[in-house]
Amino acid sequence: MKRITRRGFIRYAALGVAVFVGGGVAGRYVAPLKMTTYGTRHRLAITEALAQMVDRRPVYHWAFEDLDSLEHLPQMPGPLIQAIEGDEVNFSVTNTLREAHGFRIPGVPGEVGAGIVIGPGETRTFEFAAPVGGSYMYLDHLNAPVNRVLGLHGPMIVLPKSGNTPYSEPTPTVQSLFDDLGTTDFFPGEPWRPERTRVWLFSSIDPRFNSMAERGESIDASRFREEFLPRYFTINGESGAYAAHNHHTVPSGRIGQPHLLRLMNAGMTADSPHIHGNHVYLVAWTDLAGNYRVEDNVRFVDTFTTDPGGRMDWLLPFRRPPDIPGDPNIPLRQLVRTELSLTLGGVGQSPLTYPMHGHNEISQSAAGGNYPQGMVTGWQITGDLDGVDFPPSNPKEQGGVNEETHGGH
Amino acid sequence: MAPRSIPLRPVPPDEFPIFHKHVCPPTFGGEAIDPVPPTRQIARNLLVNRDLELRDGTKVPMWLFEDPDDDTESGTTLPGKTVRTVEGDIVHARVGAKTNTHTIHWHGIEPTSMNDGVGKHSFEISGNFVYQFATNQAGTFLYHCHKNTGLHFEMGLYGAVIVDPKKPDIPEAHGVPDPPYPAGGPGFVRAFNPPSHVVRYDVEALWVPDDIDTRWHELGHNAFMQKCDPDNPIAAEDFTQDGFLNDFRPDVFGLSGEAKRVDDDSPFERAAVHAKVGQTVLIRFIDAAYNVNVIRVGLPLQLIAVDGYPRGVPPAGKYSRPINLPAGEPIRITAAMRGDALIRPTEPGRFPVAFDFFHWVTGKRLYTARTFIDVTAR
Repeated sequence: MKRITRRGFIRYAALGVAVFVGGGVAGRYVAPLKMTTYGTRHRLAITEALAQMVDRRPVYHWAFEDLDSLEHLPQMPGPLIQAIEGDEVNFSVTNTLREAHGFRIPGVPGEVGAGIVIGPGETRTFEFAAPVGGSYMYLDHLNAPVNRVLGLHGPMIVLPKSGNTPYSEPTPTVQSLFDDLGTTDFFPGEPWRPERTRVWLFSSIDPRFNSMAERGESIDASRFREEFLPRYFTINGESGAYAAHNHHTVPSGRIGQPHLLRLMNAGMTADSPHIHGNHVYLVAWTDLAGNYRVEDNVRFVDTFTTDPGGRMDWLLPFRRPPDIPGDPNIPLRQLVRTELSLTLGGVGQSPLTYPMHGHNEISQSAAGGNYPQGMVTGWQITGDLDGVDFPPSNPKEQGGVNEETHGGH
Repeated sequence: MAPRSIPLRPVPPDEFPIFHKHVCPPTFGGEAIDPVPPTRQIARNLLVNRDLELRDGTKVPMWLFEDPDDDTESGTTLPGKTVRTVEGDIVHARVGAKTNTHTIHWHGIEPTSMNDGVGKHSFEISGNFVYQFATNQAGTFLYHCHKNTGLHFEMGLYGAVIVDPKKPDIPEAHGVPDPPYPAGGPGFVRAFNPPSHVVRYDVEALWVPDDIDTRWHELGHNAFMQKCDPDNPIAAEDFTQDGFLNDFRPDVFGLSGEAKRVDDDSPFERAAVHAKVGQTVLIRFIDAAYNVNVIRVGLPLQLIAVDGYPRGVPPAGKYSRPINLPAGEPIRITAAMRGDALIRPTEPGRFPVAFDFFHWVTGKRLYTARTFIDVTAR
């Protein structure tokens, strides 16, 4: 099998997590998701799985499986596919289920962009040239949006062949934004690096429909659109505390280390993701006409809409949070020394952590409540601009036990 | 073959504190941490129970902020009494949790984690706490309780934070009081206008669409929360299974604190704008609804800022520019997005303003809230 040769893996035996640490051209690939596939040949299966929700209830899903993964497990979302513009990408997709399924990557020219149909038990092999740099989502386009929402979706990242932005064809303003990172007073620190990337793939799950699929019943797409009542909300397949404390999802760095966040919405709900601590630049998005494009008039926002099926790229500048009072020339490790030394509820206030969550707060629920076990994650600032990390908090516990929250109802 | 399982990621016991804190933040209180002398001090207490009265006499229970230093009606309003500061201020905000525990998140203002008002990243207030933050960017922001937020935000625990630019030393500034500028105008707003990047306005309006599911308004403070077990914060048996905070079916719609039942299509008076030909009108909008909102204004307008930051004003706004919209062009927003717009009416008349609410899953239109801009001859 043809693979990019220079690659390396670290395996965390306990978690079964693979992290890519290759160099050279291959080193431009990133590994933000739990599982990722490498190189330009991908052998996927369309299969079924019982995915455990945040409250440990199993929910039947249709899911992709990376047949070359050592995990031998389906994944939700599907594995992260990475390519460089122009790469010859080869897919072999086997449908192990009882009904036809599809494979489509919106935005890719040719047959894979139009959608390929794979009959029960069939394997389809196809090739395409990796399209222009950007964020993509592969999905089962049949019976839309049912098959996508029942689990058959995954992220694809394409990097440009050259340049210092994530795009092959950046607009002049996006080019100047990336040129300014690390070179202007407003963005002291470093330029963006491709490995400073996270995928935030949102989905929503209504188990009533998943049960219908499990029983082999056909699902009417218009009824699905009409009656869908999400019970679980996920980011990269995880909810709540799991998504908020997974370092493959949570960007982490010192002040001056900008990250690109690639948001995708495979679910059914319009949400309003809000990030704390820094505003972000909306550099590319699926606009209201339905086209994913690099933006020319780049908003600086703390909240923006994601629509079902949409994609959106945020540049998180990792600026020193601008509303911390005091002399901006004093490193935070000295300016807010007391705060960073505190341990509250058994958790240190160092490093500084900030949430990102759906502000259509309905998405913060799981099983109809249990705030905030829904669509939430975050980011963390580990140190100052001068490269010195914040000291760890004093492990001595401070703050009271929240008796009132205990007991819930 | 039976479907295989995708298990939840195993949580090692040393991660239990952070998983536990995610759901059950500790309490904390007291004076500002790492204090810097303030240039402005404000106070808010949570919460006051008030009924929102509809035209047919129906009462919807709400939870409101109160300003303990203002015992008039204006201290306890929906939206909450506006927090108004000046660019560059260092603010000390004394927040009192009078019933249970709460937080205040100063949405769009970006201080340290302990001053950001999110329990799982810091603590919930028991008693009092003094939040400390600077307001370094002039624009339209938001404050709200960030506890069991789906419910507390819905119940009315939100209000505007308006940060005003300093008054410029130019002839136009005559007759404008010093900032913070009075609600309703006149004043100055940050907008692309080199070299000063401020624009004088005569009339100011605050448009805050909201949607209300009255079933939610019968719920208690901690409705449908997960039970906390520090020794096993992921225990399945501690998750509530009978909640409906995922099921939002609004039957009442609001605009700037005035509310109407879904079958009441009379115009909203409180959000109506009254201006004269030749005046500059500043509209600040804040989305407090969960459904998708589309605003259509019957006059041309210029979008000058989003989420507190002015378009086109360097350094942050260098990569954007103001947008001129013709009359009736839709502005689509979702929860907690904000914007500032300038309108310069050139002829007298009554111009319609509509807020369409579209369902957050089906996309179907649920309601249209109507108000208007009345322009009289100069």
